[in-house]
Amino acid sequence: MASSLAAPNQGPTDDIALADLLDRLLGTGIVLDGDIIISLAGVDLVQVRLRALISSVRAGDAVGGERGPA
Amino acid sequence: MADLGRYLYAISRGLAESQVASMTGLRDAPLEVVRHRELGAVVSNVELTEFGEEGLRRNLEDLRWLEEVARKHDDVVHAVAALGPTAPLRLATICTDDDAVRRRLDESYAALVSVLDRVEGRLEWSVKLIVPATVRASSPAQSSDSTESGAAYLMRKKREDHERASRSAHVAALAGSVHGQLSEASVASRRLPAQDARLTGFEGDMVLNGAYLVEADDATQFEARVSALQSEHPDCQVSVSGPWPPYSFAMLEQ
Repeated sequence: MASSLAAPNQGPTDDIALADLLDRLLGTGIVLDGDIIISLAGVDLVQVRLRALISSVRAGDAVGGERGPA
Repeated sequence: MADLGRYLYAISRGLAESQVASMTGLRDAPLEVVRHRELGAVVSNVELTEFGEEGLRRNLEDLRWLEEVARKHDDVVHAVAALGPTAPLRLATICTDDDAVRRRLDESYAALVSVLDRVEGRLEWSVKLIVPATVRASSPAQSSDSTESGAAYLMRKKREDHERASRSAHVAALAGSVHGQLSEASVASRRLPAQDARLTGFEGDMVLNGAYLVEADDATQFEARVSALQSEHPDCQVSVSGPWPPYSFAMLEQ
């Protein structure tokens, strides 16, 4: 059971789930400074990256094909 | 021969290595538990060519990569959270070896324990309120009407400004009220920044992006409260997702 990890979210669409996911994985959660620091803890950088990413999501719309097994 | 690092997914309490032994993390690497006192960090090996500083910097610009890694990270956190109290880590926390992982657990021990106490037996829900996109001020055709006098123009401008201001005050009050009601139905709540419509595809203005920490036993009641709010506001969209592991309530207070 533990190995059937695909698609645990029940968001209305994958895109929304992705936005929720990025909210949480980039904006919240425990921050421990690892040995590899990429300034992810810096919210500013996250915002900048998100902006860059957002423009690629809607423009390309290629991400929608990346679905895990149902 | 690639150098390896330890990628951290979550901190859990009382987790035995055998409980995650059959599970895999990023790039199908087996999950392991690095223990310090009663805490356990769930980790797996990652290649530093991909997850080192240089690799991360490049890969984070790639949405496909980010999504794949984020989903796997979340899958692992969901699975671990099903086993016991779990504090999810932010994406891409990488240590060079187990000693470095233990050092972090030791340094933040008290704060981690208090986070685990806070989230134990609780689940997170995401609730968003989307109101119809701002309707353009009425009768735009009149604005190009050359017969409109200067005074009439100023009057109209003023009225439109007033309408806009009163609408945004109304919307802010609505968002505050919905958030307040959901906060009462939960043990903790937070407002996250509104999401970009280009990422979500929502049509309208997201005026509330709330995160709510709910007792697992109260989940049904919380969902019922959300449904009721949708019924009370048929002109708005109340979007709910969850339950999530308690990401938004796993912030260390230091």
